[in-house]
This record gives sequence, C-alpha cells and structure tokens, in this order.
Amino acid sequence: MRLDNLTELDQIPEEIVCKVKESVVNTIGSMIGADVEYVDETNCDGPLNGIIGNINIFNSEHTLSLMLAIPKESALHFSKVFIGMELPFESDDMGDLIGEISNILAGDVAANVEKVGFRGQSSLPTATRGSDLTLFMPNKPPTEKMKFVTDDSEFWLTMVLSESK
Amino acid sequence: MGEIKALVVDDSKIMRSAVKRTLNQLMLADFEYIEAKDGEDALEKFNDEVDIIFVDWNMPNMTGVEFAKSIRDKGYEKIPIIMVTAEKSMGKVDKALNEGGANEYITKPFTADKMHKTISRYFDEDGNIASDEEEDGKQKSFFKSILNS
Repeated sequence: MRLDNLTELDQIPEEIVCKVKESVVNTIGSMIGADVEYVDETNCDGPLNGIIGNINIFNSEHTLSLMLAIPKESALHFSKVFIGMELPFESDDMGDLIGEISNILAGDVAANVEKVGFRGQSSLPTATRGSDLTLFMPNKPPTEKMKFVTDDSEFWLTMVLSESK
Repeated sequence: MGEIKALVVDDSKIMRSAVKRTLNQLMLADFEYIEAKDGEDALEKFNDEVDIIFVDWNMPNMTGVEFAKSIRDKGYEKIPIIMVTAEKSMGKVDKALNEGGANEYITKPFTADKMHKTISRYFDEDGNIASDEEEDGKQKSFFKSILNS
C-alpha cells in the first residue's frame, strides 16, 4: 500500500477501509452486545442532532482521523446497554462515554490497519455534542463515510486520511 | 473476605466505574477503591497500602506504562499491575510488559469473565492477594491472558 503522495490519492485505500469497517462491526458490536451491520448508503449527508466522538491514529507522516457520529437516540441507547442506565444526553458522562467508545474503536483500528501497513498510535479522544452538526473537510483530503445500523440504533463513521503536519 | 485496596487509574470516569462494578461482581475480595484520572494523579494517590493496580494506557499527562514503570522504579516489584486498555497490538503488549513491568494485559471492552480469568489467580480463597511464591508462576500466565482476550 503506497501512501507516499496523498495529493494524488482521491480515496482512502480499500485495504484500510475494509479493516476499519471490520473494526467497527466487531468492536461496537461487542460493546453494545448487538449485531452491527454496514449499510451501503451513499446519501447520508444530513445534519446530525447528536454527538461526535473524534480520535486520530497517527504517525510522523500520516493521520487517520475517525469521527463517530451518533444520533441522540442511539447515544442514549448506547449508554443504556454499555453502562446499564440511560445517561442524560447533556451530561459530561455522555461525552465521557462516547469518547471512551471512540478510544476503544481506535485501539482496534490501530491494531487492524497495522496489518495492512499503516502503523500509528492513538490520540486522546474528544467528543462534540450539538444539533445540526455537519462535518466538512477543508482541502478535500481522501475521505470515506460509512453508515452502520443495529436493531436499535444507527451511526456513521467518517474517516479522513491526511498528512501529519 | 480480605479487604483489598485497589488503585483504579483511567481518564474516563465511566471506565473507572466499569472496572469497579466488574470487580464487585466477581466478589474475589472486599475492595476499597482509590481512583485516579491519569498517571500523575495516580502517583500522588499511590501509597504503601495499595494492594493491586488497574491502569489504562492512553491518558493525558502520564500514560499507564509510564506510571507502571514509575511504580516499579520506586521498588514496588511485587504489586500486581493490570493494564486495562484499548491498545491491542502485540508491540503495545510487549511494551507494557517489558518497559512498564505490568503483570497482565486486559483489552477493552472486557467482560466479567475475561477479568476473572485474568486476575483471579492473584487472590487466595480468603480474598487476600496471593503470596510471592505463587506470583512467580503467575507471571508466566501473562501471554495466556492475552490469548484469552
């Protein structure tokens, strides 16, 4: 897998996309005790009323950014199954939970993408809560947006591959 | 049951609660907890009465591996240090063992069963931390616990 010149790359290499998809299905599924399914849906650009977990896997040359966008109802569901009670959506604990879910996902992604040649370490996670949230990428780096569903929830993962500067 | 003082180190309050809840469920001992939000905080709160340490890796200010190394450097060779972390690559496991001096490595998300398999050998039937002689054999279980994770 060649990542030498990102400006010539118009999409994230398929090997990385597959490994990340695999990590989402396995890790989130294990955390919430449900079957997570990837949905091949191209039209999923609407604004989000919910919370976004942000985390990077980086090395000196490249950064793989993961943005886990979770609608409010799904976040409430995640809190119920993950810690046994529904957390208030506006609470610090909800941000803590989504940050930790992002952190656990990134740990698995880092181990998984290492198998296809991308070796990096995880940053600390952050979480952003709000309504009408829209993700956009200045300079249009290679980006992949994926939708996942369970019986009781839906969420999106956007990943961006950029140069570490 | 013996009373065990456990130091639980994680920057996520949710995860500290999850560790405590799981340990309480296992009923291996009567736990008293000290909580710390990163390695620096944990070093401040650590004292001679701590019997066992559960520590995350990826935290601000001081990582779990740096904290574990500091504890070993202070001469606490026998106290069990259990890494509870999202980091999964073998390189990380190796670093935790060799640089940090951790005894065990549990990957998140963990189950009560996984936690039990990994740490039960550190407790005797009276709920006390097992003796030094037994611990020698326990070190060898390190890689086994990774395979179970």
